[in-house]
Order: sequence, then C-alpha cells, then structure tokens
Amino acid sequence: MAAIRGEDSGLRTPHLGLMVMNDHQLDLMVNGEMKQWDIAPGDLLLDVLRREGYFGVKRGCETGECGACTVLVDGKPINSCMMFAAQAEGRHVLTIEGVAPGDKLDPLQEAFLEYGAVQCGYCTPGMILSAKALLAERPDPTEAEVREALAGNFCRCTGYLKPVEAVLAAAKVYRAHAAKPVKAKTSQKSKRKSQRSKVANPSARS
Amino acid sequence: MPIADGRLPIGNIRQSAIENNLMFDHIERFYQPNSVREALLLLRKVGKRGRIVAGATDVATQADRSIRYLVDVTRLGLNYIRGNNRGCLIGATTTMATLEHSWVLRKFAGGILAKAAATCGSIQNRNMATVGGNLANASPAADTASVLLALDAEVVVASSKRKRKIALTEFYAGTHQTVLDSGLLLEVIIPTLPGGGRMGWSFQKLGRTETDISLVNVAAGIQIDAHGRIKWARIALGAVGPTPLRARKAEELLLGNTFSEDLLTRAGAAVEKEVSPISDGRASAEYRREMSVVLTRRALRECAAQTVEAASRRHMAR
Repeated sequence: MAAIRGEDSGLRTPHLGLMVMNDHQLDLMVNGEMKQWDIAPGDLLLDVLRREGYFGVKRGCETGECGACTVLVDGKPINSCMMFAAQAEGRHVLTIEGVAPGDKLDPLQEAFLEYGAVQCGYCTPGMILSAKALLAERPDPTEAEVREALAGNFCRCTGYLKPVEAVLAAAKVYRAHAAKPVKAKTSQKSKRKSQRSKVANPSARS
Repeated sequence: MPIADGRLPIGNIRQSAIENNLMFDHIERFYQPNSVREALLLLRKVGKRGRIVAGATDVATQADRSIRYLVDVTRLGLNYIRGNNRGCLIGATTTMATLEHSWVLRKFAGGILAKAAATCGSIQNRNMATVGGNLANASPAADTASVLLALDAEVVVASSKRKRKIALTEFYAGTHQTVLDSGLLLEVIIPTLPGGGRMGWSFQKLGRTETDISLVNVAAGIQIDAHGRIKWARIALGAVGPTPLRARKAEELLLGNTFSEDLLTRAGAAVEKEVSPISDGRASAEYRREMSVVLTRRALRECAAQTVEAASRRHMAR
C-alpha cells in the first residue's frame, strides 16, 4: 500500500494551514537519534528541522542556490529547502548539531576555527557538512575537489580561501586518525583491526 | 553549544514556522506510492491539481499554488542504470549524482551524459535532481536533454491505459511543455549507437559559474569511416530555443566530408541559422547566438580529436 501523507484528520483546515500539522507522522533519524514528528503534507525538511530546534540549518535563498540549509541525508549533502519532509521518512539526517559527538569538536570544526574560516558564520554549517561528505568519500582531496565540493555553499562575506585551507587541513587530521591503527601493527591482523576501528567510529564516516 | 535535541517549548516557533512556509500550506496530501501501477492510479485520481515529485528541485522552487496533491515517485524502483557499450537503460528517478559517478556512463559515448549530469547545479542539487525530472520539466536549458537528443534517446511513458515509447525529439511540446499529459516518465532508453571504433563525442557548456544553468550548451557525436569521412553526425543544443533542439542542417552538412577548419566554420554558420535564442537576465540573444557557433565548433573539434586518437590507437595495436 501507498503511504499516504495527510489522511483526513477531521481537524484539518488546509487553506489556513493551521491544524494541518497533526496530519502526518514522520519517522526518521536525526543525528543518530530516532525522531517521530508531526508534519503537514507540504512541509519542507528545512522548516521541520528548524521548528524542532535545529537552528544550525539556516534559511537562506530557499531556492536551492545558496546551500545555507545543507544537511546530509544518508551521508549525502542536499538542500533541505528543496526536499519535502515526507521524503525523509526512514532516512538519516545529519545537521551541524550532530557533527561533534559530545564536547569535542570535529576536526573540520577545529580547522575552521583555527584557519579563521568563519566570518559571520551563516554559511559555515552548510560548508562543514558539504566538506564532511567530501572527506568521507575522498580522504585526500585536491584543492580543486574541495572547491567543487563547496561550490554549492555561498559565503557572502566572500571568504572562500580560508574554508578551502581549513578543509585541506582537516583532511590531514582525518587521515592521521585513520592511519594510526595501521601504523601500530603490520600484517593482516592490523588490517582487520583498522577495518574494525572504522566500524567502531562511524562518526568519522557518516 | 549545539542544541542537540532541540525540543524547545514549541508554541511560538511552530506558529512562525507556519507563517514562513506559506508556499506549501495548500498541499493536502503527499502520496508515496510503492509501485508504478499505484502511482498511475493516484495520478489519474488527483488529475490537474496533482503534481509528480521526484528530486523536488523544480516543484519546491516553482511553488505553484494551484497544486493540492503531490505524488512522490522516488519509491517505484526507477533508480537504475543498465547498459553496456552498445546501449543503455536509465530509470527516470536516477539522480544526476548517480549518472555522474556511474562507470557505465563514464565510458559510454565518451562519457558525455556523465559529464552533462556533473554540470547540473551544485552537488546538493545533483544529489536530488533526477534525469526524468530534468526532461519532464522541459526547460530549454536542461543539460542532460541536449546530450540525450544527440544520443537519439527515447523515453518510456506510462499512463493508466498504456505504455508507449516516445522519441525525445517528439517529447517536447514547447517551453516547459511536454506530451506527457498525465503520463509518468518511467525510463530513458539510449539505443544502440552506430558501430565502429572511430567515434568522437563532446559536451560543451557555457555558464557564468560552476553551478549556473546553461547560457548555451552543445552535445555532439561524430562517426567517421575508414577514409576519414563523416558518416554519422549529431549536434544538439540547449538554451537557444523554446526547447532543446537538434541542429539537423548542420548535421547534414557534415556528412560525407572530412574534418577541416572550413567545414567547422560552415557547420557553425548553419547552427547560427537554426537557433532562436532569447535575451534574459543571464545573457542577450546575440551573445547566445554567437556562443552557439563557438561551442559547436569547439565540440566538433573535440570530436575530431577523439576520432584521430581512436585511429592511432588502432594503428598502434596493429
């Protein structure tokens, strides 16, 4: 059967858009936590995330150009202003709030601070998420690849050089983390171990 | 500090979010069918007030207020690329990112479809936008459309009554108009390409930035015979007419000739007559016309270089 978003609820007054909120239940994972939210059938993912308090997801152009609303859905960057919330059913959404597990910042966040890659900060969550998706696929990107990965994230303070430097620096840190278990031992055993450590530390990849 | 689990006291925020999202408050249902059959029944039921959604990049930005129902077609199993070096089948909801990274498509026809997909907006856009949507939206500037025209592609369209194959050349009815009606685009078919090793392919796009929509794009394919004469040619252009178009006169002009700068000049002149661009915020009609000529010449030059390479490879193998 088709999942039908927005089945009659009796309370619905669609033209005002007020009670529609109770119409549908969305099940998804956000930053590793299962969530169950009431949404309206026409809700965009951006609106739902902000309504639920994820203010790191920024509202920018709302036409999929600026990338301020970037989130990762199943590890891939998308513009949440162009995705209907209902389409996130059963998927894993990562917002900037979920990038640093616990109190320790992600190497990307550290690098952005260290390199002065943050000016007003509005584009920063999107940039970090885009960069995170890049590094998960390409641990050793070229500068051109970094620039391409950030091409969908506009910075109106015009600070592109520093973010690119920061991402390249963070890539080095990621690689150093990934290389450690392999360095400790040689032979097949260590290979298996490094694979295991990757599984044990999914945050480095997600 | 990050607000990790931000269930804040919601009342006011919820209210303001509703006010912010006035674009889609009129949507009454969001259907997510799991089979083509179900999708077709739904589409018939919702009629003109319904709209198909896949990557949502067009629907979400156009925000047409007459729409009451959305039918999501991303769960119909139409996300696939099946092919070899002879032909190719692509599911309608395959994303641009999937096309771009597909090993099949990177090799197929000089990789021009993968190349074109890689230019469709930012990575964020390409992770959502689908090839079916790129065609069905019928923008004259759609990047994959010119390539698919050059590849003689066909589309499979289903309605509740029947399933039919339509050549892409017959698919467009005008700017942002197709012959789809209430039908659902299921698949893109790229038929077997002309045989023979001496093929050349090129995709050229001119945009203001890395992520910009095309001001002009050109896709070209050439096959030459053992004597270096062109025996098959395709030139398709985007953003220079009401729909993506084939430059048939320029194609004919090439046939039977060998590559030369003079031939490229004449082909460019033919293209210049076949395009009918408009002026808009991005570029003037004159500029687009001029650039159609430049990009066509550039594309044909790249094709020619590839046919020479193919020939020399063959020579080396001997």
